[in-house]
Amino acid sequence: MGAREVEVYIQNSRNLTVRVRNEDIETIQEAAAGGVGFRVLVDGGMGFSHCNDFNDRSLNDTLERAIAFARLTTPDEHNRLPDDMPHQEVEGLYDPEIARLPMEKKIGMALELEAYAMKDERITHSSGASFGEGESEIIIANSNGMLKTYRSSSCYVGVSVVAEKGDQRHTGWESCSRRFFEDMEPLEKIGAAAAKKAYEMVDPRMVSTQRAAVIFDPAVARSIVGGIIAAINGERVLQGASFLKDAMDEVFASGLLTIVDDGLRRRGMGSKPFDGEGVPAGTRTLVEEGVLRSFLYNTHAALRAGVESTGNASRGGFTSLPGIGTHNLYLKAGPHTPEEILANTQRGLLLKGVTGYGINPVNGNYSGGASGFWIENGQISHPVQGLTIAGSADDILRNIDMMADDLDMARSFTAPTFRVSEMQIGGA
Amino acid sequence: MGLKGGIAIVAAPPLLSHMVSCSGFTANVGPGLETDKAALDRVIAKALKQGGDFADVYLEGRILRQIIMEESRFRSGLYGVSQGAGVRVISGDKTGYAYTEEITEENLMRAAEVASYVARNGKSITPVNIAEGKRESFVTVHKPLEDIADSRRIEIMERANQAALDYDPRIRMALIDYNDQVRSRVIANSEGLYLRDELPLLFFIVQTMSDDGTNRHMSRERISEHSGFELFEKDTPESVAERAARESIAMLDAEDAPAGTMDVVMENGFGGVLIHEAVGHPLEADNIAKGIGAFTGKMGQKVATEVFTMVDDGTLPNFRGTINFDDEGTQAQRNLLIDKGVLKGYMTDILSAKQLDLHRTGNGRRESFRHIPIPRMTNTFIEPGENTPEEILADTRSGIYVQSLSGGSVNPVTGIFNFTCREAYMIENGRKTYPIRGATLIGSCMGVISSIDAVGNDLAFGPGICGKGQMAEVTAGQPTVRIRGINVGGSRG
Repeated sequence: MGAREVEVYIQNSRNLTVRVRNEDIETIQEAAAGGVGFRVLVDGGMGFSHCNDFNDRSLNDTLERAIAFARLTTPDEHNRLPDDMPHQEVEGLYDPEIARLPMEKKIGMALELEAYAMKDERITHSSGASFGEGESEIIIANSNGMLKTYRSSSCYVGVSVVAEKGDQRHTGWESCSRRFFEDMEPLEKIGAAAAKKAYEMVDPRMVSTQRAAVIFDPAVARSIVGGIIAAINGERVLQGASFLKDAMDEVFASGLLTIVDDGLRRRGMGSKPFDGEGVPAGTRTLVEEGVLRSFLYNTHAALRAGVESTGNASRGGFTSLPGIGTHNLYLKAGPHTPEEILANTQRGLLLKGVTGYGINPVNGNYSGGASGFWIENGQISHPVQGLTIAGSADDILRNIDMMADDLDMARSFTAPTFRVSEMQIGGA
Repeated sequence: MGLKGGIAIVAAPPLLSHMVSCSGFTANVGPGLETDKAALDRVIAKALKQGGDFADVYLEGRILRQIIMEESRFRSGLYGVSQGAGVRVISGDKTGYAYTEEITEENLMRAAEVASYVARNGKSITPVNIAEGKRESFVTVHKPLEDIADSRRIEIMERANQAALDYDPRIRMALIDYNDQVRSRVIANSEGLYLRDELPLLFFIVQTMSDDGTNRHMSRERISEHSGFELFEKDTPESVAERAARESIAMLDAEDAPAGTMDVVMENGFGGVLIHEAVGHPLEADNIAKGIGAFTGKMGQKVATEVFTMVDDGTLPNFRGTINFDDEGTQAQRNLLIDKGVLKGYMTDILSAKQLDLHRTGNGRRESFRHIPIPRMTNTFIEPGENTPEEILADTRSGIYVQSLSGGSVNPVTGIFNFTCREAYMIENGRKTYPIRGATLIGSCMGVISSIDAVGNDLAFGPGICGKGQMAEVTAGQPTVRIRGINVGGSRG
């Protein structure tokens, strides 16, 4: 048919979601799904097609569509499929116990979680609690002789509640996702955390527009770290659309900033033996004490940059082409407790909630909505909401001056509490 | 390897056969399940066997194409086919849902059984046998997508790319993303409704990046309609690209934005996303039915200024948010939400309408057969007012003039929203002056609609992708408006 190289990506998955609200079932959804994506290279042109029907005729038609598209796209010498490189298996990706749990147990857990979250009298409404589970099998084969597969599972509980007082409403949400059922956090702890997030925001007060310190809670670290990760995406760097495009081996951030991507952590939510095109996943230091050490690459971007793939091809399932993404990403912990950081802050914002897009990876501009607590003399003074915070990535990253030790390694994108010595805060 | 229970279980599902007749699928096996009303009746009966107030079956097929051009190269071409069917049971406030990707009666019966789990021991109704229903269509197509050769799609993209690069030497790169799809739906329910239709959708996105050695700006321009290829005659690829390029160049001179509370004038068009987020989502009836929405208990009350009238209308001809009928089969219509400041309506799906004892507004939408329907917007807009945009600007002493937004979000319970500006300027003495870097605007929905004190006569719409756990194609529309006192997140004190 004329294809020079072909990749077949098959994904089969099964999902169950149980939602409860006000002590009763709200929805139960079950799904079994699967499909195949074909990536075809013809003389350097790339075509891609997918279908969710494994009938011979559909598969043939779909594959032919990819070949036709490959003939239309522009030849690119960097369009290659990876070789069949041996990979290391990751321990603890699949837990057969999850599927064996009876439906009543799953519904019961969601109900119990909701009850724990509603326990505090300041919580007035439930937005619902859920239990979710999923398992998926991925198969990648290509014309370079690759045939790889792995299976993974996950389970999840989450709850959202409301604290209402007069015209005020505050929402609190907490969840827990694990590869193994036995690793789930106690439901009481998750429920109580959701409730606290809602009631502790009651009666916020406004502060004036000013410059002050901002302490980033782990829950909002992504608004900063996400922009760095997007800016070291190798594809974006090659396009010149990154504020870190010329920063390799340069100091661009505080010496407290070390960022590692680990694809192989046992039972890690982001762990996988190989990336979205079959290249072995590994462990890589991206930023070392404020110095940029690595961009992220898939096979195409790596060939174009003249380097090896870093095993960071991401894949949104059988319907999508490989992009670039991380596995288990963490910002290395520091020496302080979060309490020490608070006690050392004369005046500033303990940031618990952010809105907006985080650091703009193209130009490093940062502006977002902010909520949390106002700090006076090393102590929490009162809740705040409706504030904005802003700055340039350069200023923010160089001004990280305290790093805490509260790193939760069970999450696949995680950071400890850290402080930025000064940012612009917009208020009244 | 468990490929959905084995390879080649069923013949190509007939649902798609009429859509892909030109694509290489040959004549198919017999009449498809989508036209077998007796079989669908049996599935619905099975779904309600354990109990339940309502059941429906939704069958869907979709063919999509995406071509991406980056840095003047065609990076990839994508062709996708997906199909599936879901069975839903509503029993009181409970919903059960299961779907299958192999549309056979056996699989649908199994989905019906799973979905009926929520109705166990509930009271039961007798379903009405389905009969073909009629719905008005608001979509006309002159040049059907399936008749368009891929080479013509490529040509449209090349024209856009060239126009962007020709605009100014500081335009370093254009990203062109061409998408089209045809979605076919069949809806059958226990009230005896049976409907089918097919909707094309075109979505064309041009992003351009400027770089003058010091500053960089990425801008975006999008057009989208339920339309055939004639869309590109109405709005040429060159003009889409030039609009994106203009913003990229204009924003190279941007300075840091100020921080704090100030007046904002929002230009007409996709600035409507402000209303979509800040007011639209909180008026979707699901959170109202739960008693936790920001507008709970406010029906008939004055919630906004008198100049503020807001509508959701799923019938605007060929608009991206237009749906003919929603994914539960309810006829699309024009719904008045807020009339001269007074709350008049919520947007409902079947479940929330029943829970709140309201009529069905035609807003029950779903991303695909993999999702259950929930209340969603269609084409949501502020009705035009009396002032010209020039008058509104001239009447504003100082503040921010927002020309385009990257997007935004809202917490529908608290009503706190945020938007990120992409192109914005300072207003000084009633005049637009220098551009400012992307700042976030934040506020509360109740605060913003009681602070809109001027509405222009220049209503315009922009296309959007709305996410609420699942995606929906919408438009947001707005004349030029002024909001008094909104918090702007600049980096300048």
